[in-house]
Amino acid sequence: MSEIRAGSFTIEELENVQITIGSIVGAIEKKAEDEGEMGPTPKPGIVDIREWDHKLLNRYEPVYTPMCDQCCYCTFGTCDLTGNKEGACGINMAAHQAREFLLRVITGAAAHAGHGRHLLHHLIKTHGADHPIDVGPTNIKAPVIQTVTGIKPETLGDLEPVLDYVEEQLTQLLATIHAGQEGAAIDFESKALHGGMIDHVGMEVSDIAQISCLGMPKADPEAPLAEIGMGTIDSKKPVLLCIGHNVAGVTYIMDYMDEHDLTDKIELAGLCCTAIDMTRYNMDAGGTPTAKIVGSLAKELKYIRSGIPDVIVVDEQCVRADVLQEAQALSIPVICTNEKIMYGLPNRSNDNVDDIINDLLSGREAGALVLDFDKIGELAPRLVMEIAPIRKAKGITALPTDEKFKELTNKCVHCLACEMACPMNLPISDAMTAAADGDLTPFEILHDKCIACGRCEQECPKDIDIVNVIEKASQKVIREEKGMMRAGRGQVSDPEIREEGVNLVLGTTPGIVAMVGCSNYPDGTKDLYDIAKEMLKRSYIVVVSGCTAMDLGMYKNEEGKTLYEEFSGSFLKGNLINVGSCVSNSHITATTIKVAAIFAQRNVTGNFEEIADYVTNRVGAVGIAWGAYSQKAASIGTGCTRLGIPVILGPHGSKYRRALIGKPYDSHKWSVFDARNGEEMAIPPAPDFLISTVDNAEEIMPILAKSCMRPTDNNMGRMIKLTHYIELSEKYLGVMPDDWHKFIRTETDLPLARRKDLLKILETEHGWEIDWKKKKILSGPTMKFDVSAQPTNFKRLCKEA
Amino acid sequence: MVDTTRNIKMYTTYGTKSAKPVQPKIAAKMISKAKRPLFVVSSIVLDEDLLKRAIPIANKTGMQIAATGTSIKGFLNEDVKAKYINIHALAAYLGDTGWNGLDGEGHYDLIIVLAHKKYYINQVLSGLKNFTDLTTLSIDRHYLQNASMSFGNLKPETHLEALDELIDNL
Repeated sequence: MSEIRAGSFTIEELENVQITIGSIVGAIEKKAEDEGEMGPTPKPGIVDIREWDHKLLNRYEPVYTPMCDQCCYCTFGTCDLTGNKEGACGINMAAHQAREFLLRVITGAAAHAGHGRHLLHHLIKTHGADHPIDVGPTNIKAPVIQTVTGIKPETLGDLEPVLDYVEEQLTQLLATIHAGQEGAAIDFESKALHGGMIDHVGMEVSDIAQISCLGMPKADPEAPLAEIGMGTIDSKKPVLLCIGHNVAGVTYIMDYMDEHDLTDKIELAGLCCTAIDMTRYNMDAGGTPTAKIVGSLAKELKYIRSGIPDVIVVDEQCVRADVLQEAQALSIPVICTNEKIMYGLPNRSNDNVDDIINDLLSGREAGALVLDFDKIGELAPRLVMEIAPIRKAKGITALPTDEKFKELTNKCVHCLACEMACPMNLPISDAMTAAADGDLTPFEILHDKCIACGRCEQECPKDIDIVNVIEKASQKVIREEKGMMRAGRGQVSDPEIREEGVNLVLGTTPGIVAMVGCSNYPDGTKDLYDIAKEMLKRSYIVVVSGCTAMDLGMYKNEEGKTLYEEFSGSFLKGNLINVGSCVSNSHITATTIKVAAIFAQRNVTGNFEEIADYVTNRVGAVGIAWGAYSQKAASIGTGCTRLGIPVILGPHGSKYRRALIGKPYDSHKWSVFDARNGEEMAIPPAPDFLISTVDNAEEIMPILAKSCMRPTDNNMGRMIKLTHYIELSEKYLGVMPDDWHKFIRTETDLPLARRKDLLKILETEHGWEIDWKKKKILSGPTMKFDVSAQPTNFKRLCKEA
Repeated sequence: MVDTTRNIKMYTTYGTKSAKPVQPKIAAKMISKAKRPLFVVSSIVLDEDLLKRAIPIANKTGMQIAATGTSIKGFLNEDVKAKYINIHALAAYLGDTGWNGLDGEGHYDLIIVLAHKKYYINQVLSGLKNFTDLTTLSIDRHYLQNASMSFGNLKPETHLEALDELIDNL
C-alpha cells in the first residue's frame, strides 16, 4: 500500500472529484524520526524539561518582590501572606508570587499565540495551506519550532500543528493557576519557563508566516529605512493612524491606497509594532516604505490628543483602553479590526461601506467594529479622505491655546499630587512654575520622559490636563522629532551564522546585545541610543526589535545620521540589526539555536535541553528590556532565560516582582561537567543572573560586558570581554570591578595593555603567585583554561555516561 | 524640628503591613544603636544637596555604604566605606543568611535606604519585608510603605532639613 501524503489528488475513474488531504497527523515527526534526527523531547509537556529548569533555578534562585501582600484569588480569601505566611488554601507568599509570574508569562504568550492563530487562519485562507515558508537563505527555516517541537515546517499548513501544541500547553499551564493545584514555588517557576519557551514558538509561527506571505524582508541586511517620529507626519494631509501589533488588516488598507492612487494623498502612520510591520510590508524586493512610524506606546495618548489623526484603526495588543473616548472627544472615528479590542462598538462587518462611512462622518457612531478585511481596506482610506477636510477646517485638537496654556500653568497649586501619582515621580510642579514664567525647557525635558499614562490628570485637584500642557509646551521639540529606522529584516541567515558563529563561541566577537521591549523607560528614550552606541563601538552585535528598535532611531550623531545609517545591518561584529516587531523576537533566540546547529553541528530537532545547555555555556548573548512594561515582555524574557540567555530590565522591571539571581560568593553553584570525561570543572560566575534589573543606563554598561562571558571563551575572547568589562566599569562607575579576578584563568586572559599592573594586583591583593621573569601566573585561579573542554550541565551528555 | 510623619499617603496598595512613620531623631537613634547597619544609597545621591548629607551620615557612624546604581561615583574620594553593588543582587544576598556582607564580616541588622527611585526601592523593600527578618528604615523623600519605618512624603527642602536633623542626632 502506498503512503498517504498531504496535498490534492484526483481519481482518474471519478470525474470532477478532487481529494485534498490537509495534513497527516504525525507525518512531520515521523519523517524526522525516519531520518534519525529526532531528539529526546519533541513537543515537550510541562514535565519534560523540568530537570533543566531545576538546574537553572538551583544556580539562579528566584527573588520575589511582591506588589501586594495579599492573595485574593478565591473566596477563602482575602488571605494575608505577609512574611511568607500561608493562605487558606495552603499556598505561601513565594509560591503565590511564582504563580503570579507564571500568569503574566502565559498571558503574554497567549497574546502572541492568539495573534499567530489569527494571522495563520487569515494567511492560509488567502495563500493556501501549501504556501511555502520562505524566510531567506536558510536550511533551518524555523529554529525555535524545530528545537521545541521537532517539526520542520515547509508550508503554512505545517504551522497549524505547531500552534495546536502551543495552545494545548498554554491551556495546561493556565490550569495550574487554579486554586488547589501546584504548591511549590520552584515548579511554578519551571512552568513559567515552559510558558516562556512556548511563547517563542508562537512568535516564530506569527513572524515566519507573515514574512512568507506579506512580502516582508527575508533575512535582508539591507532592509530599507523608514521614517519615524511625530515630526515626520505631514499633518496637512489626511492622517490615518493604525495602532497595535497585527498588521493583517492594515495590509488591505495599503493595497487599497495603492490601487486607488491614494498613497501620496493620505499620510499613513502607525504606532507600536503594527507600524513596524507596515514598513516591512512588500519590502522584500526593496523600495521605500510609504508608511511612517509615529513611535511607541508612550506616544499613543500624546498623538491622539494632538488631534492630528483623522481616523484611527486599532487591531490588538498595547492599545490604550480609552482610545475610543479620547478619539471621540476630538471627533476622530475609530475602526476596530480585531475581536481582541471591540470597545463596545456595533459589529458592522456585514454592513455596506457607504453606510458605515455615513454613520461615522455624521457622528452618529463614534466608531465601528469591522472584521472583514476587504471592507476595512476600502473603509479607512475613503473615510479619512472625507473626514479630514472637515476636521482640519475646524482645527480640532486637545492641546490648549497659548492663552489657555498660561491660565493652566498659573492654576497649579503645587500640591505635588501629580508627582506622587506619576509612575516616575517626574518634577511636574517645578515645570509648571517655569512655564508660568515663560521657560518651557523643563516641560520639553519632561516630554521625552513622560509615558503619557495620564495618571497625573486623574489626581490633579485643579483638573489640569497635564499631558496636554506638557505637549503644548513641547511643540518645538516635537516638530524636530524626525528619525530613521531600518525596517525589520527577519531572521539571521545561515551564511551569516557560518561567518560569525566561531567568533561568538570563542569570544572574539565580544557578544550579542539584544535590546527589546516596550517604552516604559526610567529616563526617556535617549538611554537606548547611548547603550547601543557604546556597545556597537566596542564591536558587540546589537540586535533590536519592537519599541526599542523604533526609539533607537530617534537620535542622530554629529553628522545627522541615526545608528541605522551609521552601522550596517549584517550579523557581524559591530553591526546593528533590527529583526522586526514583537513577534520577531523569536529570531533572537533562533539565532543562538542556529549557532549550535550550524557552527557546532548539534542536532536541534526536538532537542531543547541540549541546545539550551549549549547556548548557556557558549553563546555570549545578553538581552536588555529597558522599558519592559507588558506581560508579553515577561514571556519574551522568560523564553530567553530558559535558553540560558540572561536578561536585564530597567528599574520598572522590578514590578514584575520576580528575578532570577545567582550568588557569585557560593562556589558550589559555579561548576559544570566536562563532556570529554565527566569531570567537574569550575566556571566563572557570569552571567550572575538570568533576570535582574538595574537603576540606570550607566549602571547597565559593565553588566552587559560581564554577562557575555562564557566558559568556552578562548584567551583572546576572554581578554577582549574582560577589557570591556573593566573599561566600562571605570568609565561609568569610576571604579575597577571588584570581581574581575574571578574571570582569570591564565595570564593571557588579562587585558594586554594592563597586564603588568593587573598581575601586581593579583599578587598583592589576592595572594596569587606570579613568576615575574616570565610574567606568568603560577597559582591563584580557581578555573583552569583548557581550549578543548566541553562544558555541559548534564552528566548524561558526558562520554563516560 | 521637622515633622516627617504627616503625609503617608500611598498611591499603590501594597497590602496589610505598612511602614511606621518615623521622625529624624528616632531614625538617628535606630542607626546609632544598630550593631551592623548597612547604608544603601542610590544614584539620586549624586545630587549635591543629598551627597553633602549622605557622606556625614556614613562618616559619623562608620557604617558600610552599599553604593547601588551609579552612586559610587559620589563617594570615590570621600572618607567613607563604600562599595558598588547592584540593588537587586543586594536584595537577593540580604535574603541569604549565609552571605557575609560587603566587607566579609557578617550579615546586617538594619538597612537604611536613601536616594532611590521610589518605585524601585519599594519593590526591593517588599522582598525584604516578606522574606527576611531585617529591619529597614527609609530616610528617603517619599513614604516607602514596604520599609519597617519611613519618613512620610516630603517636599525636597523639608527632606534636606530632616536629614540635617538626623545627622545632628547621630
